Amino acid sequence: MNSSKRKRSNGDGDEDEDYEEEDEANGGCLQAWERAYADDRSWESLQGDESSLLRPIDNKAMYHAQYRRRIRSSPSTFRIQKGLIPYLYIVVDLSTAASEMDFKPSRMALQKNVEAFIREFFDQNPRGQLGLVFVKDGVAQCLTELGGSPDSHIKALMGKLECSGEASLQNALELVHDYLKQVPSYGHREFLILYSAPSTRDPEDIMETIQQCKKSKIRCSVVGLSSEIFICKHLCQETGGLYSIALDESHLKELLLEHAPPPPAMAEFAIPSLIKMGFPQRAAEGVVSICSCHREPKVGGGYTCPRCKARVCELPTECCICGLTLVSSPHLARSYHHLFPVTLFSEVSPSYLSTLQLRIPKNCFGCQQSLLNPGNKPGLFVACPKCSQYFCLDCDIYIHGSLHNCPGCESLRHSKPVIDAEELKFAAAGNQISTAVSPSAAAQ
Amino acid sequence: MKFQIEEVTVYFPYDNIYPEQYSYMVELKRALDAKGHALLEMPTGTGKTIALLSLITSYSLSKPSNPPKLLYCTRTVHEMEKTLAELRRLHSYQVSLLGTSANYLALGLSSRKNLCINPSVVSTESRDSVDAACRKLTASWVRALAMENPNVKTCEFYENYEKVGSEAILPPGVYTLADLKVFGKEKGWCPYFLARHMVQYANVVVYSYQYLLDPKVAAIISKEMQRESVVVFDEAHNIDNVCIEALSVSVRRQTLEGASRNLSRMAQEIDRFKATDAGRLRAEYNRLVDGLAQRGNLPITDTWLSNPALPDDILKEAVPGNIRRAEHFLSHLRRLVQYLKGRLQTENVEKEGLVAFVASIYTQVGIDQKMLRFCYDRLHSLMLTLEITDTDEFLHIQTICDFATLVGTYTRGFSIIIEPFDERMPHIPDPVIQLCCHDASLAIKPVFDRFQSVVITSGTLSPIDLYPRLLNFNPVVSHSFKMSLTRDCICPMVLTRGSDQLPVSTKFDMRSDPGVVRNYGRLLLEMVSVVPDGVVCFFVSYSYMDGIVNSWNETGILKEIMQQKLVFIETPDVVETTLALDNYRRACDCGRGAVFFSVARGKVAEGIDFDSHYGRLVIMFGVPFQYTLSRILLARLEYLRETFQIKEGDFLTFDALRQAAQCVGRVIRSKADYGMMIFADKRYSRHDKRSKLPGWILSHLRDAHLNLSTDMAVHIAREFLRKMAQPYDKAGGSGRKTLLSQEDLEKMMTNGNIQEMLF
Repeated sequence: MNSSKRKRSNGDGDEDEDYEEEDEANGGCLQAWERAYADDRSWESLQGDESSLLRPIDNKAMYHAQYRRRIRSSPSTFRIQKGLIPYLYIVVDLSTAASEMDFKPSRMALQKNVEAFIREFFDQNPRGQLGLVFVKDGVAQCLTELGGSPDSHIKALMGKLECSGEASLQNALELVHDYLKQVPSYGHREFLILYSAPSTRDPEDIMETIQQCKKSKIRCSVVGLSSEIFICKHLCQETGGLYSIALDESHLKELLLEHAPPPPAMAEFAIPSLIKMGFPQRAAEGVVSICSCHREPKVGGGYTCPRCKARVCELPTECCICGLTLVSSPHLARSYHHLFPVTLFSEVSPSYLSTLQLRIPKNCFGCQQSLLNPGNKPGLFVACPKCSQYFCLDCDIYIHGSLHNCPGCESLRHSKPVIDAEELKFAAAGNQISTAVSPSAAAQ
Repeated sequence: MKFQIEEVTVYFPYDNIYPEQYSYMVELKRALDAKGHALLEMPTGTGKTIALLSLITSYSLSKPSNPPKLLYCTRTVHEMEKTLAELRRLHSYQVSLLGTSANYLALGLSSRKNLCINPSVVSTESRDSVDAACRKLTASWVRALAMENPNVKTCEFYENYEKVGSEAILPPGVYTLADLKVFGKEKGWCPYFLARHMVQYANVVVYSYQYLLDPKVAAIISKEMQRESVVVFDEAHNIDNVCIEALSVSVRRQTLEGASRNLSRMAQEIDRFKATDAGRLRAEYNRLVDGLAQRGNLPITDTWLSNPALPDDILKEAVPGNIRRAEHFLSHLRRLVQYLKGRLQTENVEKEGLVAFVASIYTQVGIDQKMLRFCYDRLHSLMLTLEITDTDEFLHIQTICDFATLVGTYTRGFSIIIEPFDERMPHIPDPVIQLCCHDASLAIKPVFDRFQSVVITSGTLSPIDLYPRLLNFNPVVSHSFKMSLTRDCICPMVLTRGSDQLPVSTKFDMRSDPGVVRNYGRLLLEMVSVVPDGVVCFFVSYSYMDGIVNSWNETGILKEIMQQKLVFIETPDVVETTLALDNYRRACDCGRGAVFFSVARGKVAEGIDFDSHYGRLVIMFGVPFQYTLSRILLARLEYLRETFQIKEGDFLTFDALRQAAQCVGRVIRSKADYGMMIFADKRYSRHDKRSKLPGWILSHLRDAHLNLSTDMAVHIAREFLRKMAQPYDKAGGSGRKTLLSQEDLEKMMTNGNIQEMLF
């Protein structure tokens, strides 16, 4: 033991290289199926604790670091204006390259990720609209028109789709461009393509099409399934979109979901504008009525449009009769946090606190769990800069990811009139939710 | 940023420095301190040029009493411009820190073709015709005539320059060729002669290899450079070939016929002069009696390429008596041309040493070695006397005299090879007499002798111990630097087997095997369907490329490849290749994707960069050995074995591998870039071949990637491309810093752990 240790510390570069080479040689002999597990050798990270029970190494801190890096790099930490009503076209590449099997089971089968994305999208953007387009045989075709209900899109997506031919980025852009031209100016035009082909087969000069999209303020983003393509990078740079390449199945899902939160608003559209909106009431249970969206008699459930009294099945949607946007107030509230994100918590290391002679907190303010690691060693935790309460890492992720409220600050609000100031700012921010048609106003 | 290397304060125009740049500077400084020669290998894309420039200029700034001059040699005009642009940035940074005390003069020097601003002269196409057109306007006798007769045309720019005389100076600063032209137009001075004049006073001169290596040019341009100069040869991995070419001459039938025409024209001229102005010929004769040392007194416009042999040997002696008279000299030349014509008639290949060749000339036509040696200078003198200005017409006879002088001067390191036809095309008679130089050290010896520090640097100089032997010098520093990378952005692979697991190779007995051809085709096909944008393929020779592309076409593989990407091919024609490259780039830009088929040792392999998306993958099909049956190569190998004890196999492998490294190095031009390299031949997996690759490639060549088949390579390519497309941190992670700021450097120096950073 001792000698080997000394050898290690004294060991010059050669020796280390030898070790590495051995490892690499082993890595090279792996079978293809083994290679999938080569990166996370979860069995190696097992370690025994005091009672000689196996438990995995605590990599919570690592995950948390990753998470924080992401949250810091994403613009949502700054209070910038967001485009709250996105009109998004998702383009799915169904060229022959999509039938490759390098993602399990195949690239095409990953469309179930799009389904999750659609749900998330409507969750985050209740008033957004979405349409589906696919590209195959060198042409782009519309699968579903812009619409506000997730189910119809998902149904269309789950239908039988086959891959063939080439992909054409230009045709997809042109088609989406034509559709999105008609979108009202307060809406945010978005284009997202899942691209698996390594090239694009275009009829004309694609650079012109990119410039056109730029002029029409369409923000184009690409999620690549194979490798970085220059033209896609160029497209995203020009139009301000995101370009990312998926490493594996889970990474693909992650990348897709990154596109769900509302995008930053474009400066030209920052002027406030009024949108008419209705807040329908839920119909009484047990009443039979004909719903206007499916043209079927339904018992109970459903909502009544405050302007024309038509019955719709679900929210958010547009009334089929009078065209009023129908939402419920929780929907609006949910997009509220995009405008006022919770401030980023700062990391606190226990050693720093002890140098300041401060009391080390015992419990997380959120979940009341102990902040101490097993063995009573203080672990890593975070503090809210506003209310200076301490939180554990799990709560940090939960607060920023799902809750969107700081429990510490919220409990302070009862004593101080923070709320008014916030609300004033909200109105002054010139955002697009300037007014709403209340049910009673609409009835008059 | 600025920092201290021992006693020298180095000014570096960027805020951050790579660790390898720093260690490069340290090594270079050691060489300068020791006043010796250096051999430094550092991968491309690590900022070699700026590291060199900033250290050497800072070094001379630190020695204000006797600042060494920097002579920077590049291969192409394009590289020259890039170097000067870097230097300008550095210069303005130094001036901003130090004020006017840091001012120095730096300029680029090139041929008349690149510098002339006289519209009537520069409109001609070739370099030689520009030279001739310039001489027609500026030769001393033309100008003398013009004094009397105003109808004779002269060059106004030169006249203006001449009027100012030595008053004409460039203010300090950095001048590219374009800047020189602009300056010349502004002042109405000839930029070419101004630049040639200012070279004596400039602190930094950037020019082409030939100005130092080719003895003909070197004697004129570089003669007066002081000994304390630092000479840098950049991109010098082929420097031995440049040296050899500078001293090799080949004579074909057209040359000899042209030479006969030249001779009869000169005879007419002599007759004309005899009738009109016999005194001129007489005066020339007298001058020749005094020896050729008159050269220095010639006006600047009359000098031209001087003797092709080493300058010192000739000037001390007088021209032999029997060629002093013009008619006698002409008849000697006529006999020599006749003799060479006779030798060209041969049916079989002949190889001769120089001694035997000279002896045979003497017995057959009675011209001895000494007469041969003076041919070039005698011709030069005669042409001056005859006032011949259209020198481009007289290239043929110049070639013959060049040949004769070399034959007369050297006895070792050369051989004469006469071939009646090209080996590869035996049906077409194309007789040629080749005077081949085998010893690269002959041409570069005066450079090593004259200058105190010569730095030879390139991205690929491996194996680094062979260059000192080839060039016959002793470097005080020879070092190969690795690249510090934030991520593994190059992915070299050795592919030994095709998709059917059979070995692939371009070995002579395997190359035409349909299985190998098919396997290569499948490899390319699989790769183009995975790799986006640009893919570059290198083949071992034009004939092999033609053959393999033909059979791919027949088997339909080429069509399948074209489904995925457009295909472009390099041809020996420069214009066609340029067009193909241009379209290749466009296809990469618009996302269609393209493949470029090119040839190792071709123009593309030497000078064209396929950076970023223009080259995501380069496939080297086979090992680019030289054509081993070539007589010239065989003669050179024999000479190398006898003189330098370098084994044939060693040299051939070294040469092939440096070409291969040069080819694959085209894809990576900076650290932010990434690219894959596939060596598709089973011979690369052998240790003796592989170990000759440069260190920066070897260090990324993992053992697992040494023996791949096509499907494995495709899998690796997929993973690599995905990994590289992820965003990354440019400054390097926590562990190893790859970008040092000024504070980092100072911290390292105070801690004394600088050695840790060096390799």
